[in-house]
Amino acid sequence: MTAFILRRLAALLPMLLAVTLLVFALMSLAPGDFLTPVKAQRDINPALIAELQKSFGLDRPWYEQYALWLGNVLHLDFGYSWTYKVPVAQLIAQRAPATILLSLTSLLLAWTLAIPLAVLAAARPGGWIDRLTSAAAYFALAIPEFFLALLAVWMAARTGWFPIGGLTSLDHDFLSPSSKFFDIAYHLILPTLVLGLGGVAGTLRVLRANVLDVLQSEYVTAARAKGLSEKVVLFRHVLRNALNPLLSTIGYAFAGLLSGSLLVENVMNYPGLGRLVYEAFIREDQFVVLGSVVVGCSLLIVGNLISDLALAWSDPRVRYGR
Amino acid sequence: MVADIFRSLLRRPAGLISAALLGLLYAMALFAPFLSPTTPSAQNLDRTYHPPTALVWQDGHLCVQLYQLVDPSTAAYQPLPDRSVPLRWFSEGPSYKLFGLIPANRHLFTVPDSHPIYLLGSDATGRDVYTRLLYGAGISLSIGLIGVFLTSLLGLTIGGLAGYLGGWPDSLAMRLTEFLMAVPGLYLLLALRAALSSRFPSDATFLLIVVILSALGWAGTARVVRGLVLSLRERPFILAASIIGQRPWTILFRHLLPNTFSYLIVAATLSVPGYILGEAALSFLGLGIQEPASSWGLMLGQAQDIKIFMLNFWWLLTPGAAIILTVIAFNLLGDALRDAVDPRFRLPGK
Amino acid sequence: MHFRTLLLLALVAVTPQACAPKAKEVRPNHPLPRGLDTSRAEPGRRGGVFIDSTPGEPSTFNPLVSEDATSSGFIGLFLDSLVHNNPVTQEVEPGLASRWQIAPDNKTFTFHLRPGVLWSDGHPFTADDVVFTFQAIYDPRFPNRAAFDLSVDGKKFTIEKIDELTVRLTTPEIYAPFLETVGGVGLLPKHELEPAFRDGSLLKAWNVSLAQKEPRRLLATGAFRLRSYQPAERIVFEANPHYWRADAQGVRLPYVDYLVTKLVKDANASTLAFATGQTDAEGLSPDNVAWIDRYASRYGFSVFNRGPSPNTGFIWFNQNPGRDTSGKPFVAPHKLTWFTDRRFRQAISHGIDREGLVRGVLFGRGQPLWGPETPANKKWYNPNVTQYPYNPARSKELLAQAGFQLGPDRKLRDRLGNVVEFTLNTNQENQLRANMATAFKENMRDLGITVNLSFLDFGTLVGKIQDSYDYEAGMLGLTGGGDPAGGISVFSSKGRLHQWYPNQKTPATPWEARIDQLMSDQLHTLDYPTRKKYFDEVQKIMSDETPYIYLVTANAYVGLKDRWKNIRIPPLGSLIWNLDELWTPLLTP
Repeated sequence: MTAFILRRLAALLPMLLAVTLLVFALMSLAPGDFLTPVKAQRDINPALIAELQKSFGLDRPWYEQYALWLGNVLHLDFGYSWTYKVPVAQLIAQRAPATILLSLTSLLLAWTLAIPLAVLAAARPGGWIDRLTSAAAYFALAIPEFFLALLAVWMAARTGWFPIGGLTSLDHDFLSPSSKFFDIAYHLILPTLVLGLGGVAGTLRVLRANVLDVLQSEYVTAARAKGLSEKVVLFRHVLRNALNPLLSTIGYAFAGLLSGSLLVENVMNYPGLGRLVYEAFIREDQFVVLGSVVVGCSLLIVGNLISDLALAWSDPRVRYGR
Repeated sequence: MVADIFRSLLRRPAGLISAALLGLLYAMALFAPFLSPTTPSAQNLDRTYHPPTALVWQDGHLCVQLYQLVDPSTAAYQPLPDRSVPLRWFSEGPSYKLFGLIPANRHLFTVPDSHPIYLLGSDATGRDVYTRLLYGAGISLSIGLIGVFLTSLLGLTIGGLAGYLGGWPDSLAMRLTEFLMAVPGLYLLLALRAALSSRFPSDATFLLIVVILSALGWAGTARVVRGLVLSLRERPFILAASIIGQRPWTILFRHLLPNTFSYLIVAATLSVPGYILGEAALSFLGLGIQEPASSWGLMLGQAQDIKIFMLNFWWLLTPGAAIILTVIAFNLLGDALRDAVDPRFRLPGK
Repeated sequence: MHFRTLLLLALVAVTPQACAPKAKEVRPNHPLPRGLDTSRAEPGRRGGVFIDSTPGEPSTFNPLVSEDATSSGFIGLFLDSLVHNNPVTQEVEPGLASRWQIAPDNKTFTFHLRPGVLWSDGHPFTADDVVFTFQAIYDPRFPNRAAFDLSVDGKKFTIEKIDELTVRLTTPEIYAPFLETVGGVGLLPKHELEPAFRDGSLLKAWNVSLAQKEPRRLLATGAFRLRSYQPAERIVFEANPHYWRADAQGVRLPYVDYLVTKLVKDANASTLAFATGQTDAEGLSPDNVAWIDRYASRYGFSVFNRGPSPNTGFIWFNQNPGRDTSGKPFVAPHKLTWFTDRRFRQAISHGIDREGLVRGVLFGRGQPLWGPETPANKKWYNPNVTQYPYNPARSKELLAQAGFQLGPDRKLRDRLGNVVEFTLNTNQENQLRANMATAFKENMRDLGITVNLSFLDFGTLVGKIQDSYDYEAGMLGLTGGGDPAGGISVFSSKGRLHQWYPNQKTPATPWEARIDQLMSDQLHTLDYPTRKKYFDEVQKIMSDETPYIYLVTANAYVGLKDRWKNIRIPPLGSLIWNLDELWTPLLTP
């Protein structure tokens, strides 16, 4: 098992190398660079532009820039953000908690809503719960996420029921700890709903099909024959087995912790990593982009590893190692 | 095989209705120039944000109600009582090329003397939203089809070869797909778009987007096809074919791949929504289709202006409704197809 | 509303202390400095929180690093300068220097600093700080924008300390915008930043990270000092207890206790925050005025029309006769003939329905633009430039004079039979500009001219305009206003932003030569009427020759909560430039 984990983690390195190289090459192919907006200002001196270019290393070919960056990364230095003049690692670390918080709440929403609904729907296929939930799921999967976010912002503006964007109120600093908690919770409601809705629908569909599968298996028939109540059969025997395949989606959920909410964060004005990363792409703030790609990619691979391990742990038939 | 699927599809009302709806949508997109009274770029700066014009029945004719601008600062229009103009059917209008080939100038309906008719209102420069929606459908709907076609082609070839050949081509292909799946999709999308945009002229953005979305999408299909081929390879009829001395390529293309077609059709149908939503997201970020062309994503992206909500220009959100409708139809159809092909077959989750 | 009340009730039920009054912070009462400046505004009452919002994020709090308006705006709140530019009168006023003399050579400026002024940490502000700031700016280790603003033809100004409270600045040549430029330089605290200056890390000092961890180390001489910064959420400033201004009754300014700026994603979000009563002030675009006005009474604000904005929008043709490295001309020769023909450009200008653009795209809230400055720039605007009202008949006349003919297929052709067609490039990020481009295309079709539109990333567009020159026509905007010196790179034929033909070695046309001369002349005299005369002529030539075909300028609107007193709205620049004088009788928003 340890060997398996180590082998998988070792595979991370070439992958990261290839991904960052690809992204770096693509970014250097893009027209313009970080200094383009500066160049377009009407009262800026060309000599200053040249000096800035030199100090950023933008006057060198891209592969040289990449090699320099790579060299620094080996010393665990991910470079400075050109925009903020702050180490990239520090910048990402500042913004990541809010994003992780949002991802977790929406994941929580997806699972807590989807699991009971899926079991209830599958218990009576074609019943009204089943029809209602599957209709809702079709609808939820069809709404573009950003459009839903826009509608939510508009609703909040019109009704005043929810704050428009942000994670804390203006007087947050003056609140007591418990009020701080509720303040954040209140700000999280809308983004969580928007981000979680697609997750609810997706999980619901997968889980419902799984439950249906398991219901047809022999041991369920046996359990029913033993005279166990339907509730016990459903939630003790069926659900546990139906959740197994869902474990494999943990990897994706984990990977999406930081990048999954980019669109929603941007539309809903949420102070997370999404806005930072998107702006870094637009401004071509190279090292921030590379840093976020490294983090996103590592999370994906680690996430996949975790879901493989979870699968092995829950299903003894799965074995690793050759 | 395909006929079987079709027959069992006929027995499923949801799938059938979806198929009919999609057929209708594609037909509308195809005949957009004929169905629309004007061109997607025709502007009227005196009629910006015009509400949908009412149709009234008068003197035995279907007529379009006329409006006047009562407050330019809020784009408020009021119907002029008893002022309406009868529609002209199958009349001459702006010339166009049907299917891009046949020159024509007949339109289903027009209004004489360039009176405005806005079935779904007008946008920021007084263009007809209904017309733009029809023309935009062409782009939004075909991005899905072309994208899925490219993806399937790539996935089928690479996945099929990998599964059949095994060995190093297999590992190579699988590492490549893992690599593609390991990059956070949206990041790669942003980077690709930035890198390629200057190499495509702005009116070829359509192509660019299809290429980007397909380049990111084929990995999943390839893995599924590989898995299928791996399991099929051990089946008796394949073994028989190789025993009677058929060449590997013949086996692959005659026997193996055709057997994955039904799965592929299901997978393709279910992945079309991904392309439609992908185009919408890109356009929303301002990275998709560019003016003066029109697409649903672009139109929806332009509707993110807060005044559109606050002044209730709801008709500018119709592209959103169109996207939702189309995606639901594709998902329903895909599910129906899957049930028809094999109820137990499941695609890897998105 | 109902739902929210319920929710809040629920919160209160769980947390009884939620409604506890906040701890009232008392402002320390330091003695007023000797060199106190007394405001002439109506005396008010202390207290209150002023809330506004800004799209985007400060990228730094270090004036040597700042390249963007957002960061510079925040820096200006806490770092004061020798003199101020009053945006209402467009005159230079005393700042940290209470007075100054200009020597007869018009090159030597002696500034007398206010005695007794302290930094926000209580350390005295002296001539050493001024000298240190200029040293830092001119130090080649720290490339920065001010170093170039504060030089004439690449030659630096010299600075010397006369005594603790007197400095002398000398310019190598007469430099007209000297006071305006010096007014923009935020003075740095020597005692705080000298270590960073010594070890070469000055550009990394005062970054956003420090602002989060130790906000008070960003020392202030301005009305406010930084209290806290939460990225992507808000910046909170508090009154600087050592500020050097007071009102007529001897109450130290500013009146407001806190200035809170919400950091939002874009202008949409910023507008929405104001319209829902969350902020006190907001610049509004013309298309949003009408609906926001509906909320005015509910949230107690008013919307003011500031008149035309200083923003210009224009179309131009590439007149660059050069060739690329492969020997291919940047512009096809027959098209270059059209583009360099003044009558062609004038005909295009007459063919643009600017009133229609104002009506349709700007909701009737704007005006046609004929020259490089808008009326917002009261001090320099020349109203007597040549105008090109919408007149397709006149366009056709001009085109006919230039040898163009409209064929039976409704297509315009030049003398040699070439169909008149060109591609207009603009950036895709700006929706208003995209609307103007599509409207322009329709206008040109009426003249028989085919315009193809190309919407590019800003980066690609700038690349085409400034590096590769392979385009036919462009559409962009510039923010005008301010001193003519800021326009040198646009107007002078050597300029980088002389977009129709940049970086010329010698002027291509007599009128460009004349503009070069005028721009140089106005820079080397301190006499306002003379400078105005020169710059008026520049504007007139620009409108006659129309290398830039100016389009429209939107009116600028501002929304302000009614509870604020001492409001004076300038025609351009920041709305709350006199924030230190604002006060409110109503302390709760």
